[in-house]
Amino acid sequence: MPPSDRSTITAGLSFADFAATRDPHLRDLLVEAHLGLAHQLARRFANRGETHEDLVQVASVALIHAVDRFDPERGFEFSTFATRTILGELKRHFRDKGWAVRAPRRIQELYLELGAATDALTQELGHPPTVPELAARTGASEEAVLEAVEAGQAYRATSIDAPDRREGTIASRLGQIDAGFDGAEDHQVLMDALALLPEREQRILHLRYVDGLTQSQIAEQIGVSQMHVSRLLTASIARLREPFTEA
Amino acid sequence: MSPEPTGSTGSGPFASAAQVELTLSVADDLLVLARLTVSAVATRAGFDIEEIEDLRLAVDELCLQVLLGRRTGRLVLAMAAEPGCIDVWSRYEGTEEARPDGLDDEGDLSERILDALVDEHGPFVHDGRPGAFLTKRRALAGG
Repeated sequence: MPPSDRSTITAGLSFADFAATRDPHLRDLLVEAHLGLAHQLARRFANRGETHEDLVQVASVALIHAVDRFDPERGFEFSTFATRTILGELKRHFRDKGWAVRAPRRIQELYLELGAATDALTQELGHPPTVPELAARTGASEEAVLEAVEAGQAYRATSIDAPDRREGTIASRLGQIDAGFDGAEDHQVLMDALALLPEREQRILHLRYVDGLTQSQIAEQIGVSQMHVSRLLTASIARLREPFTEA
Repeated sequence: MSPEPTGSTGSGPFASAAQVELTLSVADDLLVLARLTVSAVATRAGFDIEEIEDLRLAVDELCLQVLLGRRTGRLVLAMAAEPGCIDVWSRYEGTEEARPDGLDDEGDLSERILDALVDEHGPFVHDGRPGAFLTKRRALAGG
């Protein structure tokens, strides 16, 4: 079976069928079938200052985005496409969220400035900026930009299965989580929570996570400030998270 | 740029193609230097900030694949870049055996992550020791 065919069939579910029919039930099944991947990738970003629940939330929304956007005719595996989509959202989450690790104030300020400059330059240039372009826009050196990116996103090169300074591994201190655990239930809870959000918040989430618009683009489209969009997104995600934290 | 060590028997890039070589003690805290160095080399090769973020994640995975749970010894990274393309090779130097559960179930995930982030990646052998490499090209460079 050629790769393009393999990529369309997962556990009896067909992305080709979904592409043709956009059947919501099939979409739900495809999402549920891949929730394990979202959990795995969320665990990869453990120990970076964000709760596992938050990261699973971000990864799950990105997975839905990936299912909606995947084109089986393009000939690559869904898992590769979904991994890229989920990693992109997790990166954006850290970029938007800031960090929970210690960093010099000048680096924190530059990092925040870089976020705004990246969004602005991406729109101006039509592609993500280079480090020299960011340095020119912010007045910082290229080295400072790189340092801020490193410090700001608090990325650590550790798998949770890698050893750390304490005994054992990070994973050994976490509860054992089956990659496929509660997947269907998680998805249903998420869908139910989404349906309870006000229409405007649902639309904003859709624009952000399905259409991939920046907060500034959303702000322009619905006629509010970027800061207001940011607050609405934060509040919406918090509401989506509630059923999981209550469980 | 063609990844010299794609085959499993080549001598690797460490003697010829590499422009930058970095040797680190095996410690989580020092991997930040690997990411910073790769980021700096990629910057000079014209990569944008999104691509550099991808590279930083990919270098993490590359190091994980080479270390396989080892806690002692040294990690060697070599880099070569030209406009729009960067190659990174990584190998372990030390006497500690790889832990059988070094990547465990995460091995497939690591491969999947690299599939998503870079254009090419895989194993190579340098002086009889296994290593791993990756190649990333700029999307705008025609790759």
